[in-house]
Amino acid sequence: MNDNIVITDLARRFGRFKAVAGVDLEVGAGVFGLLGPNGAGKTSLLRMMATVIRPSSGRLRLLGRDPGSYGPRKEIRRRLGYLPQNFGHYPSFTVAEFVEYFALLKEMPPQRIPAAVASAIERVGLGDRARKKLRTLSGGMLRRAGIAQAIVNDPELVLLDEPTAGLDPEQRVAFRALLRELGQRATVVVSTHLVEDVGAACTEVALMDGGKIVFRGTPGELTAGAEGAGAAGDAPLERGYSAVLAQARATAAAAARS
Amino acid sequence: MTAAALRKPAPLARPRLTPAGAGLRLVRLHLASRSVPMTLAVLAACAAVLRAALWRNWAPHPGPQQLPLAIEAGTAMVIAVTTRSPFGEPERITGRWLPYLRLSTALALTGTAAGVLAAASAGAHLPDGDLAMLRNTAGLAGIALLSAAVLGGSLAWITPVVYWLVTEFALSYGWQTPWIWPARPPHDRGAAICAALVFAAGVIVTTVRGARDSARE
Repeated sequence: MNDNIVITDLARRFGRFKAVAGVDLEVGAGVFGLLGPNGAGKTSLLRMMATVIRPSSGRLRLLGRDPGSYGPRKEIRRRLGYLPQNFGHYPSFTVAEFVEYFALLKEMPPQRIPAAVASAIERVGLGDRARKKLRTLSGGMLRRAGIAQAIVNDPELVLLDEPTAGLDPEQRVAFRALLRELGQRATVVVSTHLVEDVGAACTEVALMDGGKIVFRGTPGELTAGAEGAGAAGDAPLERGYSAVLAQARATAAAAARS
Repeated sequence: MTAAALRKPAPLARPRLTPAGAGLRLVRLHLASRSVPMTLAVLAACAAVLRAALWRNWAPHPGPQQLPLAIEAGTAMVIAVTTRSPFGEPERITGRWLPYLRLSTALALTGTAAGVLAAASAGAHLPDGDLAMLRNTAGLAGIALLSAAVLGGSLAWITPVVYWLVTEFALSYGWQTPWIWPARPPHDRGAAICAALVFAAGVIVTTVRGARDSARE
């Protein structure tokens, strides 16, 4: 398998706090879900993959390149789509201007930009609002505009942090379809704490806790983790999530005692 | 966003862009996102206030250079605020153009500020002259740009204000250090070097790093 993301013993500290504490991961094409409770280290890991922050230690290779070097980092960024948890916008831009600005910044060939902008806006279902100012959009629509800027350059690597926050159920269903479509050609990493998004869209999932990956497998394998564990949760995947998390915490506590 | 929408072919919303057209469009969108048109209006207003002050011979106690200095600090504050990116991290990790856009915006706005203040003082008696005004404006802009890198664009105006107050204090008590360049004579080489160094540092930091992300301010 051609792994677009190869991570070896990656760590990131903020002062004394270790947000990511030694992660190993290889991810190829498809939709990869990064699950975990708040403060698990998902966002820090995603920000390192997005080349926003540098790792404190460990090795990271993206699209076969080392983001620690200037030239390869620029090349990675050209092929990257990123939507952070807190994404900003300029309220006086129209949806089309917002997406076009990112297409231009990402150095797309000029002749391809108008079609790519229109396509990205259509794919997130904002075609009828392309000429509307961002200030007139609802929170869910803004989120979709953010997704459009992330996919406008037809990226090989798409990193989305809590992409379904603020989307209504109908939009979330359509967004999952878009994720599956993107995953056919690109590596899509979705950080979320909503297990239903993972179950519906992801081919593989990793569960993070305390800065480490405590589970890696398919959504089906995560669901199977709940069998006989009597874990809390309304849906099978939620019960699997709770059971695997509880088991990982118990193992970590036992290791700390010994 | 519906399944039908996903299947729909994308319409061509705009005619094809040429490389030159794309460059111009990028510059226009970047300047708009930094509220540069509003900034130019505020700089013009600063020039109008300076013109009125010189024409009506306003000279507040204790020194005649105080009002021009306040206006110069005002232009630096406005330049600092334009460094704020409304987009945060997604913009920061795009291609190679962003540093050039930041560099040209900072240089163009500082040049414009000095130009409109010089135009406003033409034919009138500007205390310490145009050379001192250019030195003070550039140095204060450098302070503002450095401040934006540390505090973020939204709070970057604070440091020029503090510097202006320190300068007022220095003028009142006769402090003599080239690092407080507005308190030095117009042809003082040390003051000019200090102001130029601070401006250069501010421009370099703004070009390479930009203002601290608004989302994390």
